[in-house]
Amino acid sequence: MTAPAWLEVLDETLDACRAHGRADLAQRLHRRRDRPARGPRIAVLGFAKQGKGYLVNAVLNAPVCPVGDAPTPAVPVEIGYAAEPGATLVGRAEERVEVPVERLTGEVGARPAGSLRRVEVGVPRDLLSAGLVLVDTPAVGDPRSPRTMAALDVLADADAVVLVSDATTELGPAELALAHHIRTWCPHLVVALTKIDVCPSWRAVAERNRAALSEAGIDAAVLPVSSTVRFAAAKAGDQELNIRSGFPELLGWIAGQVSQPPETRAALLAAVSVRAAAAELVETLRLRAEAAGQEAGVDQATLLHRTQRRADELRRRNSRWQNLLSDEIADLQSDAEYDLRERTRRIVETIDETFDRGDPVKVWDEFGPWLDRTLAEAVETTYTFTADRAEWIAQAVAATFGVQYDLAEVTPPESGADQIAEVRQPRIERFKIGQKAFTGLRGSYGGVLMFGLVTGLAGLPLLNPISLGAGVAFAAKTISDEGGMRLQRRQAVAKMTAQRHVDDVFLRFSKDCRDAIRHVQRRLRDHFTALADDLADELSRERETIIAGSAERERRTARLRREIDRLAALHQRAGELGLRAGRAPKELSA
Amino acid sequence: MTEDVRTLLADACAFYRDSRRASALLREALDHLDEPLRVGVTGAAGSGKTTLAAALGDWPSRALRDLELVDDPSPSTLTDASVQLLRHLEPDELTTLRPTASSTFARQTAVDTVLVLARADETGAGRIDALLTAKQLARRAWREDPVCSGFQGVIAVAAQLGYGARASTDDEFELLAAFAAVPREELERYLLSVDAFTDPAFPGPVSAETRRSLVTRFSLFGVKLALTLIRTGCDNRLKLSAELVRRSGLGELQDTIAGCFAARAEALRARTAVISLETVLQAEPRPYSDRLAARVERFSATAHDFRELRLIADIRGGRTALSGEPAEEAVQLLGAQGTTPEERLGLETGSDPQDVYEAGLDAVLRWRHEAERPDRAPAERAAAHVVVRSVEGLLVQFTG
Repeated sequence: MTAPAWLEVLDETLDACRAHGRADLAQRLHRRRDRPARGPRIAVLGFAKQGKGYLVNAVLNAPVCPVGDAPTPAVPVEIGYAAEPGATLVGRAEERVEVPVERLTGEVGARPAGSLRRVEVGVPRDLLSAGLVLVDTPAVGDPRSPRTMAALDVLADADAVVLVSDATTELGPAELALAHHIRTWCPHLVVALTKIDVCPSWRAVAERNRAALSEAGIDAAVLPVSSTVRFAAAKAGDQELNIRSGFPELLGWIAGQVSQPPETRAALLAAVSVRAAAAELVETLRLRAEAAGQEAGVDQATLLHRTQRRADELRRRNSRWQNLLSDEIADLQSDAEYDLRERTRRIVETIDETFDRGDPVKVWDEFGPWLDRTLAEAVETTYTFTADRAEWIAQAVAATFGVQYDLAEVTPPESGADQIAEVRQPRIERFKIGQKAFTGLRGSYGGVLMFGLVTGLAGLPLLNPISLGAGVAFAAKTISDEGGMRLQRRQAVAKMTAQRHVDDVFLRFSKDCRDAIRHVQRRLRDHFTALADDLADELSRERETIIAGSAERERRTARLRREIDRLAALHQRAGELGLRAGRAPKELSA
Repeated sequence: MTEDVRTLLADACAFYRDSRRASALLREALDHLDEPLRVGVTGAAGSGKTTLAAALGDWPSRALRDLELVDDPSPSTLTDASVQLLRHLEPDELTTLRPTASSTFARQTAVDTVLVLARADETGAGRIDALLTAKQLARRAWREDPVCSGFQGVIAVAAQLGYGARASTDDEFELLAAFAAVPREELERYLLSVDAFTDPAFPGPVSAETRRSLVTRFSLFGVKLALTLIRTGCDNRLKLSAELVRRSGLGELQDTIAGCFAARAEALRARTAVISLETVLQAEPRPYSDRLAARVERFSATAHDFRELRLIADIRGGRTALSGEPAEEAVQLLGAQGTTPEERLGLETGSDPQDVYEAGLDAVLRWRHEAERPDRAPAERAAAHVVVRSVEGLLVQFTG
C-alpha cells in the first residue's frame, strides 16, 4: 500500500516546525500523523456551567458525566462503545484502573490532582457502535490553568468539535476566540446552544450567535438544544417532544461525521492541521523577518555616523575627566595640608596654655597621654577626610563616563596614626628640700645682717628679735623667688618638648598624606584610562561589525523569505488535499 | 468620626493646594462626606446588574432610603461599598474578582463588598431545588474558599424572581392559582420548557401572550416554584410573594446591605475619603507627607466600626469558634441588626434607659469574662475583646 498523499506534506511541515523552534506545533502534527486508523472522535468543549455534561448525557441517553453542582473532572473523559458499561482511569504513566461507571465521579474526585491522564468509559449505545468516541473535556477557563490546557489538548486528536454555550447569554469574546481556535485546527465545528427550555429569548440569542460567528469568519452551525426536554422525551417515549429538544439535529450532525470514509477524514484532518501549523509558522517567521528588516532599515551610513558621533563624544569626555581629576586632586592636596596644619596649630595653642599656667611636674602624667591621643585623632580625622574626598572624586570622574561604569577602588593606604611615637617626658629639675634649706639660709643670713646693723644703731645687739624676724621673712621670700624661677624654666622645657613633638608628627604625616593622595590619583588615572581605552576598542569593533554585518543580515532575510515561500506552497498543497477530500479550501493567503 | 476625617482632609487639601489633580480629588472626597452612601453594583456583562439594582432600588424600605445604588459605576466614581455579582462560583471567575487594593488602609479595612451569586435560579439547569443548591454553594464558598472570606457576605440571589414576586399583581396570582389547580400530570409536560409553556395546546383559556409575559417576569423556574408553593399552602398573593422573595435571596441581601452598609454609612464614607487621601499620598509623595500618612494609620487603628464589620463577617462566615447562641449574641452586640444601644442589646426601641444600661452592664461583664478566659485560643479572646469594646462603647453613651 502506498503512503497517502498527505503524509508527505505533513512530514515536510513537521520538519519545518521543528527547524524553526516550534516544537509545540511539531508535536501536534506528530499526533495527527501517528494517529491509529480508528473511528471519528468528537470532542465536546465549552466554558464552565454551560451544560456540557448534561449535553453528553443527553446525546447518549445515559448518566455518564457528572452534572449539576458536582465538580467536573479535570481530565478528558473518552466515551466509546462497550457491550457492558465500564470505566477505566488512565494515570499519568498509562496505568489503568477499572472502576464501575456509577462510582466514576467519586473515584475521580478521590485521586490527587494531576495524577490522571484521562478517563475511558464504555457504554452499550448504537450511536457509538461504529467506533465513534465522544470526548467530554474539562471546562475551558483561565488560559493558563491546567484544566484549560487539558481541554485544548484534546483538539489535537479530534475530528470534530461540539462547542457548548448556553442560551442565557450570547457568545462572548472569549467563546468566539475559542471557536476560532477550534476551527483553525479542526475541520468540523458545531455550536450547541443549550438550556433553551428555560430561556424565553433563545431564538434571538441563536440568531445573534449565528451572526457573530459568520462575522468572525467561523464556519459553524448553531444548533439549539435542551437536554432536560430530551430526557423527558426519553422517559415518556415521546417522539414529538424529542424533536423539540433539538437533539435529532445534533445527532444527525454527529452521524454525518461518522459516515465519512476514514481516508477522507484523515486527509482532511491532515490538510487542516498542516494549514494551521503552516499559517502559525509563517506568522512566526514573518515577525522574525520584520525584525531583521527593521534592523536593516537603518542603513549603514547612519550606523557609521552614529559610531563616529560616539567616538567624538568619547574624546571630549577623555579631556573632561582628565582635567577634572587633576583639578580635584590639587584641591584635595592643599585642603588636606591646610586641614592638618589647622588641627596641629590648635594643639600647639592648647600646649601653650597648659604650660603657661600649669607645672609640668604635676600635669605631665596627664598631659603626655592627652597629647598622644589628640595627635592620633587629628591625623585620623584628616585621613578620613582625605579618603572621603578621594571617593567623591572617583564618583565625579565616573559620572562623566555615565552611571553604568564601575568606580575604581580608591581607599588610600592605612593612615598609620597608631604608629606615632609617644611624646617623651622632658628632663624636669625639681626643687629639693636640701636646696630649699640652703637657699633659705642664704636669705635669712642677709636679713639678719641687714636688720641687725640697722637695729644696732639703736643700741640693740646684732641678733635681736627684729633681725631674727627679718631673717625668717627673707628666707621665705628667697625660697619662693627661687621656686618661681625654676618653674618657669621647667615650663619652657616642657613647652619646647611638646611643640617639637607636634612638629615632628605634622611633618611626617603631611608627607604621608601627600603620598596617599598621589596614590589615589594614580589609581583613578589608571582605572579610567583603561575604561576609556575599552570604550574606544568597543567602538572600533562596532564599526567593523557594522561594515561586515549588513551582508550577513541580507543573507538571513533572504533565507527567511525563501522559507516563508516554501511554507506558503505547503499551505496551498494542503488546501488542494482538502479539496480532494471533499472540502473547498477557504483561506489561501500564506 | 466624620469630623476627624473632615479635619484630616482639610489639612491634606491645604498641604496639596498647589497640585491641581490632588486637590480636585481631595475636594471631591470631602464633598462626598455630606452625600448619601453610594453602593455600586458591579459584575460582568450578563450577570444581571440592572435587574438586581432595580429589584433593590424599587424597594420602599426605611433601611435603604438614604442610599444611592449605582449600576455599574465607572472606576473613577467614588463608591463607599459594592455589591459584586458573579454568575458562577468557579475558581476561574473568582480569581478575576479582587484587584488587590493598592492602598494599605483599604486592605486593612476591607469591609465594603458583598458577593452575590447572581441568577441563582439557573443553578443546576433550573431544577426545582436550584435556589437551595445555590444557597448552599454560596454558604460553602463563604466558609471554605479563602478568596471569598474577605466579603461581608456571599449570597445567592435570583433577582428577577424576587423582583417579579414583589411586584406581582392579583391577576398574576389568580392566573398561577388557576394553573396550580390543573392536575399535576396534565400540566407537567407544559412546564418542561418555555416553548411548551407558551404552546397553543396549553390547557385552559389563558392566551399564549399572557403566559409568555408571566414566564418572562418570573422565569420558568419561578413559575414552577410558585405553582409548587401554591399547592403546598401559599393561598394568597401576599403569602406567595413573601415566600418567593424570601427564597430569592433578595431579602437576605437587603438585610446585609442595611446592616453592613446603610447602618455604617458614616464609617464607610469616612473610609472612602481616607482611601482617596491615601491614593493621593501614594501618587504624590512629598517631604512631610508622612505625617498625613501617620494620621491615616492612626485612623485605621482606632476606627472600631471596621473591626466590628470584619468580625460580623467572620462569625457569620463560620471563621470563628463562636457558634449557636453566643455567635448570634455577638453579631447582635457588634451591631449587625442595627447600631443603636437597644438594637445591639436586642431590646425594644424606646426601652427604659435604666434597663438598657443594666443589660449593657450584664453583657459587658459576661464578655469580659469570655475575653479573659485562659483556656480560650488567642483568636477567640481577641474576638471577645472586640465585642467588649462595642458594649463599652454603648455604655459610654449613658455615663456621658
